[in-house]
Amino acid sequence: MGVVILLVMAAGVAAMLTRRLPTAFALVVLAVVIALVAGAPLTGKDSVLDTVLQDGAPALAATMIAILLGSWLGKLLDETGIAGTLVRKIVEFGGDRPVVVALGVLAVSTLVGTVTGSAPAAMLAGIIGIPAMIAVGIPKVTAAGTILMGIAAGMPFELPVWQFFSTALELPVPTVRGFMIKLFPFALAAAVLFVLIESRRRGVEHTWSAKSLAPKPRPGRRARLGDAPWYALLTPVVPLVLALGLDVAIVPSLLAGVLCCLVTTTRPREMNKRLLRTLYGGFEVAAAPITLFIAIGILLAAVKLPGAIDALEPLVKAVSPQNAVLFVLVFTVLVPLCLYRGPLNVFGLGAGIAGVLIAAGIYPATAVLGLATSYNQVFGVADPTSTQTVWSAQYAGVTPQQVMVRTLPYVWAVALGGFCVTAATYL
Amino acid sequence: MTAPPDLAATDDIEFGVRLLAATPTHEGRDRDLLRHWATVATEFGARLGPVPSRARVVERDGGLAHGLLARYTSRPATVELYTDTLARAEALVDERGWRHWYPAGSVRAAALAHEAVHELLHHGPAKAELKHALGHVVLRAGRRRLYGHVAGAEEIAAHAHARTVCGLGRSPLLLTAALATADTHPVTAPHGREK
Repeated sequence: MGVVILLVMAAGVAAMLTRRLPTAFALVVLAVVIALVAGAPLTGKDSVLDTVLQDGAPALAATMIAILLGSWLGKLLDETGIAGTLVRKIVEFGGDRPVVVALGVLAVSTLVGTVTGSAPAAMLAGIIGIPAMIAVGIPKVTAAGTILMGIAAGMPFELPVWQFFSTALELPVPTVRGFMIKLFPFALAAAVLFVLIESRRRGVEHTWSAKSLAPKPRPGRRARLGDAPWYALLTPVVPLVLALGLDVAIVPSLLAGVLCCLVTTTRPREMNKRLLRTLYGGFEVAAAPITLFIAIGILLAAVKLPGAIDALEPLVKAVSPQNAVLFVLVFTVLVPLCLYRGPLNVFGLGAGIAGVLIAAGIYPATAVLGLATSYNQVFGVADPTSTQTVWSAQYAGVTPQQVMVRTLPYVWAVALGGFCVTAATYL
Repeated sequence: MTAPPDLAATDDIEFGVRLLAATPTHEGRDRDLLRHWATVATEFGARLGPVPSRARVVERDGGLAHGLLARYTSRPATVELYTDTLARAEALVDERGWRHWYPAGSVRAAALAHEAVHELLHHGPAKAELKHALGHVVLRAGRRRLYGHVAGAEEIAAHAHARTVCGLGRSPLLLTAALATADTHPVTAPHGREK
């Protein structure tokens, strides 16, 4: 039975890899098939319809709300010009030294990465940041990689991600936060080293391009209004300070960020319009990740069914290293399996595998948290199929594969650091 | 064939303004300020004497696909000349009747002169001089002023320098604008190889 479930999972990965099915749809199909193979009844307790679909779909509701609020705040940062102003100031102050500009854009990307994730985060920092870096001579692959490494450095403090791991792995938020604080130095060091080493290795690049005079699209609302005031530039750190420093819960922290952004940039009579406009825009941005989280909730419910646990436990136990050194070695070698929507992608089948590891009692939930968040650092930067990587690469005029090759060594090292901390702390 | 009036009739400074307007960080900036910066950068580039280049020159094709005429990279110091785009630019000069502005072979020379300025600005103190000349104050403390970087100004200076040292009648920016709007079918390269 366990082998059949693993074969079903492999088929699901193949369907995602070959893009026969969108990831979210593939995960739902996978969940239903796993439940049926595990012998779950159609209705009633531990059933396909009531447990997997009905209870599973809203299981990550708190994450969905956090994603929506993060997207809303991201939209506000965009419309009020806060992100753009930060990048413009960095170029004005540090434009003489391309590496300073890249480090500044990295810092902005890190801030943005604490608020929201995926392609919207890349766009928020990259729409001005990538061409600004290229304009001062940063090579295109390095420019795209800087945005992604910056977002990944902010990811350990991305509040919706805390909520996701807390709900999916059934861990209290402070536990998730505790590990993220340990993971952050690795992510930040890798990001800074990426900029310094790649700038040193590749130098600067200037082109005489026929496209240099091409008119850009009409400036947005913020561009016509000018820069955001300096005190508004502190907005991205507000949720972080509240959640990390003052222990405020995730949803109110994000709402405080929205409020701060609004009152520091918007005239009272325009507030209602702006709030509604950006909220609806936030729904559009959040639609894709929310769909994915519905599917992940369904998959988690399926792999936690008693029949699935009984079937998978002996198999997974047999191949899961218990020795700390082996744990680090094996999971470091397996890092590429989280790329290309592979089986260790935590926003795909990896969530199901994490669920199995916990439900079967193979590793403590905290160790699985360490594995999942470490893989997330790799996937968030180097996966050529993830939306932020595709967007950043294409916007810079290079391929996602070029970005993957350049960034993978750095994020692989971050994952190694995460595994070491996990093995030392939780095994 | 005559040039479309909207391009040839546009002065070189205006092309500089358009370049700055298309450069990130200048969205929504006042056009008069952009014109001032374009003028200063043009004068700065034209004032530069002959700029020696130590960069290795490499000729290659594949520029048309990416809209590139030339590229300077500092590590290793190399100037890449995209022969297919340069050939297309030369053909365009003939098509538009601009040969009196751009003598035969001048586009390649302009590309080398252009990239030499980027090399100069990357290594020497000239970058600070350009910044000072542009006068974009980003911070004041009493009498002290901190001048900010103006993205795109170096590009205008490089074109102005190329125009001066190559004896061109118009800035290479006019040719750049024409290339952007022209049909970029591959043409026979000067050395006779079909690109």
